Amino acid sequence: MKPFKTKDTTPPVNQSTSNDDQEEEEDYMKMTFTDDVPSTTRRPETSLQRRQRERREAEARGRVKSKAEIAAEEEARREAALSKSLLSTDPDAIKKNKGLSMMAKMGFTGGALGSKANKDAKAEPIKINVKDGREGIGLESERKRKLREMAEQAGEAAKKVKVDEIGYRERVRLEREEARLEGQLRGAQKIAAQMDEEMGSLEKRDDETDSAKKKAVVPNSSRPLKSLPVVYRGLVRAREEAERDRRMRHDLEQSSSSSSIGPLSSRLPVYVDDEQDDDDKMALGKDRASTIYVTADDLDEEDEELAAFEALPTAEKLAKVVMYLRERHRYCFWCKFTYPDEAMEGCPGVTEEDHD
Amino acid sequence: MSDYKSDSSDTKGAKRSMDDSISKDSKRVKTNGKEKMADYNPYLAHMYEGEGKAAGQKSILDTFTRQKTTAEQASKAEDLDVNPWTNQPHSQQYFKILQTRRDLPVSKQRQEFLDMYHSTQILVFVGETGSGKTTQIPQYVLFDELPYQTGKLIACTQPRRVAAMSVAQRVANELDVELGEEVGYSIRFENKTGPKTMLKYMTDGQLLRESMHDHDMSRYSCIILDEAHERTLATDILMALLKQIAARRKDLKIIVMSATLDAQKFQTYFYDAPLLAVPGRTHPVEIFYTPEPERDYLEASVRTVLQIHATEPEGDILLFLTGEEEIEDACRRISLEVDDMIRESDAGPMKVYPLYGTLPPHQQQRIFDKAPEPLRKGGRPGRKCIVATNIAETSLTIDGIVYVVDPGFSKQKIYNPRSRVESLLVSPISKASAQQRAGRAGRTRPGKCFRLYTEKAFKKELIEQTYPEILRSNLANTVLELKKLGVEDLVHFDLMDPPAPETMMRALEELNYLACLDDDGELTRLGSLASEFPLDPALAVMLISSPEFYCSNEMLSITSLLSVPQIFVRPNNARKRADEMKQQFAHPDGDHLTLLNAYHAYKSAEQGGQDVKQWCHEHFLSFRHLSSADNVRQQLRRIMETHGIELISTPFTDKNYYTNIRRALLAGFFMQVAMRESSNSKVYKTVKDDQLVMIHPSTVVTSPYDWVVYNEFVLTTKQYVRTVTNIRPEWLLEIAPVYYDVDTFEKGEIKSALTRITDKIKRRQVLKGSR
Repeated sequence: MKPFKTKDTTPPVNQSTSNDDQEEEEDYMKMTFTDDVPSTTRRPETSLQRRQRERREAEARGRVKSKAEIAAEEEARREAALSKSLLSTDPDAIKKNKGLSMMAKMGFTGGALGSKANKDAKAEPIKINVKDGREGIGLESERKRKLREMAEQAGEAAKKVKVDEIGYRERVRLEREEARLEGQLRGAQKIAAQMDEEMGSLEKRDDETDSAKKKAVVPNSSRPLKSLPVVYRGLVRAREEAERDRRMRHDLEQSSSSSSIGPLSSRLPVYVDDEQDDDDKMALGKDRASTIYVTADDLDEEDEELAAFEALPTAEKLAKVVMYLRERHRYCFWCKFTYPDEAMEGCPGVTEEDHD
Repeated sequence: MSDYKSDSSDTKGAKRSMDDSISKDSKRVKTNGKEKMADYNPYLAHMYEGEGKAAGQKSILDTFTRQKTTAEQASKAEDLDVNPWTNQPHSQQYFKILQTRRDLPVSKQRQEFLDMYHSTQILVFVGETGSGKTTQIPQYVLFDELPYQTGKLIACTQPRRVAAMSVAQRVANELDVELGEEVGYSIRFENKTGPKTMLKYMTDGQLLRESMHDHDMSRYSCIILDEAHERTLATDILMALLKQIAARRKDLKIIVMSATLDAQKFQTYFYDAPLLAVPGRTHPVEIFYTPEPERDYLEASVRTVLQIHATEPEGDILLFLTGEEEIEDACRRISLEVDDMIRESDAGPMKVYPLYGTLPPHQQQRIFDKAPEPLRKGGRPGRKCIVATNIAETSLTIDGIVYVVDPGFSKQKIYNPRSRVESLLVSPISKASAQQRAGRAGRTRPGKCFRLYTEKAFKKELIEQTYPEILRSNLANTVLELKKLGVEDLVHFDLMDPPAPETMMRALEELNYLACLDDDGELTRLGSLASEFPLDPALAVMLISSPEFYCSNEMLSITSLLSVPQIFVRPNNARKRADEMKQQFAHPDGDHLTLLNAYHAYKSAEQGGQDVKQWCHEHFLSFRHLSSADNVRQQLRRIMETHGIELISTPFTDKNYYTNIRRALLAGFFMQVAMRESSNSKVYKTVKDDQLVMIHPSTVVTSPYDWVVYNEFVLTTKQYVRTVTNIRPEWLLEIAPVYYDVDTFEKGEIKSALTRITDKIKRRQVLKGSR
């Protein structure tokens, strides 16, 4: 019934009460009993509990450990044994340990052995280092050094975070400020893009004013990105990219939903159902054919000028856009007003603070 | 475990490259009748009136005044046609050797040495390898001490058995006397000295054993501790003892000889003793480091050797590695690569020789072979490459080495009292060791040393000096010897490097469990008897208790077999076959029993008149180690007989024959027992130390019990117990009740298992009683 039991295990027939108590005491040693439960008043284990415990233990015993587990445990035990000094100054422990008590009789009071004048005498045994594999001398310490450096770096980073935690409020404030500036920047860029477009279209005597459609059809989008002023080039670029992604996704969806039609389905003529309204068409993706896409052909190209601009702090970027608006359009971003003359009379200044 | 010098003790070839031709040619006519000298007593030498030295004839030595001689006088005596020590004419060979002796660096400072020797009781002598100190200094002392006048001998200790033997042979040749007569040696289990012996080379351990019965070392007028820089356990103990004895015996002279220049430590230790330094015959050695640490030092070693062979001018290569397996592997790889190099790039030929302690002597001798000739006339010169353990570091001199490759590792014994692990571990060498290795390149001409580590690693990672053996050993045996030597206060015993207190504590504790020391730390009768055996206390106690188990003959055999290196041979190219053969001797209950079976088979083959060597070869057994076990057995048997320990056996037909042996093992090894974690597990747990171990794969035990006794704990990257035998836990409680007192155990599986067994025994007794 219990194959794990060795032949030495006590057969149940012979279990006397005293025996039971003793075994129980041992088996519970790994669990911790707090002092408020004195062992005399401890309730005896019920047979059910006992059987459960035995089964648990048997399972733990019966499981075959993997080599790695054994090796790890071996090492752990070895290290545990090696790090524990056998010496004790406790008189009881000395009495119990015959070796120590003999040494005490010879006058050992701790410290190292030998002549008192000998300063080199060792008080601790030599450490054991088990070498694994065939690594040359210095390799391990080199690796350790690298690890340590990494740990130090990580520690520094952790320290930084800690410092920031202290100024939590400050950080939150900065984050908010940053977010606000980002919002203002985007707003200023939009205005700049829009105003440039208007100016461009005015120059071309184009009376098309619908700004929503402009980005798709008017020259702005068809112009190479690099010809746009850097102050809002990023915005246009992001828009273009988003548009391209959306279209690609759409093509993909089309192709996968109607397997017979290829990825170019959106460009193919479609059957026009009169009963479908615009929304239906939109939902079915049938209005696509009427839209012309012209993406900037240099969308994938590297743009150093833009990268340099984007790397600037948000506040500085904003300041640049504001200045661009003032210089090109005599528009003050803070007054939200286009001044009629170069002097921009009436505007209190170039910064937000000036407008407070 | 017991064979604590196994690695070094079997090193043949010894300190100096032996000149075989000399020993053959120097056969002389036997001196005066041996019968007459049979009952010569060295203590009564003065009563024989010069008989000991020259059988009544006048000798130039009679004109010498003891401890007042000069180098000139001695040289004159040496130049005579008649040997002043034997009054026999000198052989032709003698003068040839004398010429080479006079060329040794130490020879130029003979007078300086004598002056200093006369002026002090303790002298520190530093001479690098090749200075000739080991052979010459004892002879200089001999001509000054004139032992025949006092009847006191001169002793020169060596850390290694083979060194003691071969140096004694060399010095006997130099003095033109028979080995074992005027010059002899004494090592464990072998004594080659006679009544006429004046100069005795011996292992440091042997001198220590001798002094157990002669606390003042009164037989000697001068004791020379050679190779003290090696700091063996026995040399360290001897130094501490001699420091004490020197205070009592003002007539005793002590010379401490070291090969390294850091002799200051010795000077300070011996009350600022004067120092004499003799330069060695060395050439400058250029040292190279690698720019980056190596990922695999073995591969780097092979690569470096090949590179030297391809690019460097003529000269032999010495590569240091850690052990047999690694060395054989490297030899194979280098040989293969060199074959390629010869084919592809017209490289010169290169012979690769391994060198390690357990290599048979005739193979060790091959390292002295000449480097191979160029493949064709005018071709690139050939060279030899020796791949060696650190025995080539100090103990062996190979001429012709110009390049040294040093990966920076060696196998070192290590002991930690906390887990009671004593094992050989691959560890980084010390700076001193690295310098010693480099020095090997400069013996014949300027050389190069390639260190396979960075200069930074050399400076930062290597310790200054190798830890002396006393800090790396289990001291149970030493403590027993010290007790026998009359050292009462072990705590304040003035050792140069005292061991850690915990090591001492463990030793005392173990001896107490073995009942060799009582609770007050006094030597018991058993302890005193155990110290008579040149064995570890556990083995000695096992042997002494064996008559109680009716198997002392068998235990004697097992003890001898455990005192020699592994008798089972397992060559790489015939592993399977070797294992099959071993299986013939296998006893399912244990490796100890298997050893015994193999020994019995060996003895019956011997008695059956078979060619034993051939028989051993066929059965994959080491003839060398079996015959040395046989020799050890005889020595131990003599000691047992001397002390009245009965030699008995259980009849082989008795069903308890093997059981008795298994039980008798426990009488000594009850502290080396492991319990299986669970019945289907391979993992065992050592009792009390709580270490996880596995049984070494070399075992023959096929159906392991839950409890085993083991001979040694091996720590490599894994933890193994080697040479194990099944036992029953009931025996533990019966044979070692003090150690297995359940109350002393920490809570855990072993304690619960022991409790169950105790209860079972109790119940059985109750049942018996009620019947």
